[in-house]
Amino acid sequence: MIESFQIDAIPFVSELFLDPRKRLFIGYLFAAILVALAFLTLRGMALPQAFRTLFSRKVWFSKSARADYGLLVVNSALFSMLAPVLLAKLTVATLIYQLLQTTWGASGLQLGWPSAAIAVSFTLFLFLLDDFARYLLHRLLHTVPWLWAFHKVHHSAETMTPLTVLRTHPIEGVLFSLRGALVQGLCIALFIYLFDDQVDLVTVLGASVIVFAFNVAGSNLRHSHIALFYWPWLERIFISPAQHQIHHSVEPRHFDKNFGAILAIWDRLGGSLHLSEPTTELQFGISREQKADHRLSTLYLTPFIESYRLIKQRFLAKAIPKKQNKPDLTQKTIYK
Amino acid sequence: MKRTRLGLAIALVSSSLSMPALAHSDASYSGFPITVKDYKGDKKSSVAYSGQIARHALHDSLKKLSARGNGMPNAELKAQMMAYYAGKDAGRKIIAPATKGDFVVKQSTVDELSKGKNLKGKTYGGAVSAWPGNMTGSEVIEFWIDKASAANKGFDPLTGLDYTQLISKFLMGAVFYNQAVDNYLDEKLDAGTKPNGKPYKDGTPYTGKEHVWDEAFGYFGVPAHALSLDAKTVYSIAKQKPESVKSADANGDKMIDLKSEMVFAHGYYAAGADKSGNSNYMHTITEAFIDGRQLITKANGKNLTDQQREELKAYADVIRTNWEKVIAEAAFKYAGSVYKDALALQDAVDNNGDLQKTFRTYAKHWGELKGFAMALQVSGKDLGVTAVKLNRLIGASPVLLGNTQVSGIDNDGNYIQSPSVSLEEYALNMIEVQKLLNDTFGLQAKANDQLDKLSKLAEKLSNTSSAEND
Repeated sequence: MIESFQIDAIPFVSELFLDPRKRLFIGYLFAAILVALAFLTLRGMALPQAFRTLFSRKVWFSKSARADYGLLVVNSALFSMLAPVLLAKLTVATLIYQLLQTTWGASGLQLGWPSAAIAVSFTLFLFLLDDFARYLLHRLLHTVPWLWAFHKVHHSAETMTPLTVLRTHPIEGVLFSLRGALVQGLCIALFIYLFDDQVDLVTVLGASVIVFAFNVAGSNLRHSHIALFYWPWLERIFISPAQHQIHHSVEPRHFDKNFGAILAIWDRLGGSLHLSEPTTELQFGISREQKADHRLSTLYLTPFIESYRLIKQRFLAKAIPKKQNKPDLTQKTIYK
Repeated sequence: MKRTRLGLAIALVSSSLSMPALAHSDASYSGFPITVKDYKGDKKSSVAYSGQIARHALHDSLKKLSARGNGMPNAELKAQMMAYYAGKDAGRKIIAPATKGDFVVKQSTVDELSKGKNLKGKTYGGAVSAWPGNMTGSEVIEFWIDKASAANKGFDPLTGLDYTQLISKFLMGAVFYNQAVDNYLDEKLDAGTKPNGKPYKDGTPYTGKEHVWDEAFGYFGVPAHALSLDAKTVYSIAKQKPESVKSADANGDKMIDLKSEMVFAHGYYAAGADKSGNSNYMHTITEAFIDGRQLITKANGKNLTDQQREELKAYADVIRTNWEKVIAEAAFKYAGSVYKDALALQDAVDNNGDLQKTFRTYAKHWGELKGFAMALQVSGKDLGVTAVKLNRLIGASPVLLGNTQVSGIDNDGNYIQSPSVSLEEYALNMIEVQKLLNDTFGLQAKANDQLDKLSKLAEKLSNTSSAEND
């Protein structure tokens, strides 16, 4: 019970940097440094120079990066309060499990699969569904105007560090949490229904083996200025850090490309895959002309005002169809 | 600041709940001195709850009797059962708990515990909506006694009703739980009732409040030295295991004194839940009783101040809440059993299994579930929609092989059956029951949890409340 006396910062730090199920786990950050150094030196850079590039003050102490840190702290506090009211995966799992039982009878298949096969199937199925759901939600965040208003907070980063992964508006956070609960709840319910308590997750350090591999391979470089690219054939299967940086580019031809998290196949199917351009110097942010406002108040409040305007506009357009009131979708492009 | 203070309060409460054994490992519910002014008698202790122990013995004995029918109406058996339920006559033998091998029980008649006691006079007098027929608590019990006397070993295969289980599990709620939480730990703690400044009755060695508190403790059913015993031991004492004799026999006289060394009723079920290691109901409740008793003793025969009564009520609250959880845990456990039994029964139907045996197990567990679920509803607290849901999900009998269920009782006291759900659907009702009990009462032990596998797997996956952006 001693924990109760500690301030929230301690669990927050330990959750963020010490949990191998999170992107910012210290081991993954270290792995990203190694991968980046290897990449830069292979590209002909001397090691000291590579270090300086990696830890450039211009990047880590930029206005944009400082906004990342601010958001991270405020969001953590916000989420520790929100967490209990968010939809829990166990609630989803229970509901779906009961639905499965009432629809198809109380017990699932008696396939007699070995436990290892069930665990591998579960791990793979969870990964595929989760990765697809990430792609889908991410695509919606870009294509639905009022959602874009919130997702813009993430894209307003003009320099990127691994911590930019948490440069997120709380409304987006709620959506991510909902996505996670639905995906995990569905997988748990389905597999427990089919295979009863034989189901297990294949893990390394408690994290799904696939997520672990992705993170050890330098996932944290996605939000960085280290344009680690893969061979083109590999970039058609997995999104490279450089490809995700393309996604953050202010170049109009890079808009709405590479929504995928780990797999590139969803983007290929959706026609939004864009391979990396090793020779192009990328600029990150929403607009080349307009500098972003990194004040926390702007980042937190503007999305609400914008999305309210968009929804109102849309509502008016429907109510008075003859008036010139097309929802101003061009606005999106202006911001980008 | 607010959060910190809340955290502090939670921490204090939790630590006080989770570590009673450390604080009071040697404390016993005994040896409290006499505080009544001008007491003239020769008693040395003010502790007395023998009337409650007599009722425990009446209940255990009635349970035994209820399983003695041979399937034919039996007026003599019925009269005997009624003697233990409603009678007050001298000379009633303690049928249970009786000496069993090395487990020697000190008393053999109810009168040795307390004279002129019965169960009926203390049975919940309100309407029981969990059972058809608009009956009061004692009417339900008498209705069942009548049926049990004509049933074969307390069981009616036509309706799946196991009267032995129903009578016992409901009676524990309707007498012991109800009397303790709705009477002694409720209005009798008020200033105007049974004051501490006077003897309970003229000449008694205990004050009003001392005795009120003792009576509530007596109904819980743990030995006075329960804090020095772990859950497994308490459980095995109730089962009268030979290896438990040494632990039970606190005064070392080679006999188990029912008045202070035996385990009864919900004391046993509290230990049953705690055996899992996930809960600590038995010690939590016992400690609250001892703390409360110490507080009363410290008042030294004077009326309690408002502040003292507030403190006492806080202990009463701990007892009430945890006692309710104990009953809910038992209902939860048996809902899990009925779930498994219903599916096993369907399986036996599909694959020519042993229907009779499977059905009997199913009915027994159902009787326990129903009895505990009914017991939860007689605390004087309105469970509202939870009670309605529980009663609908469980029904008035288990779902029978033709997918029918008892739905009412006609004017002659015969059961009416109606079409119901399939066994598989009924099994799913049991999952709903578990979920409802857990959501309503916040359970810890959760034996036989049918959704456990979901939560275990869910724990392995990453936290979904993440702000990680792509």
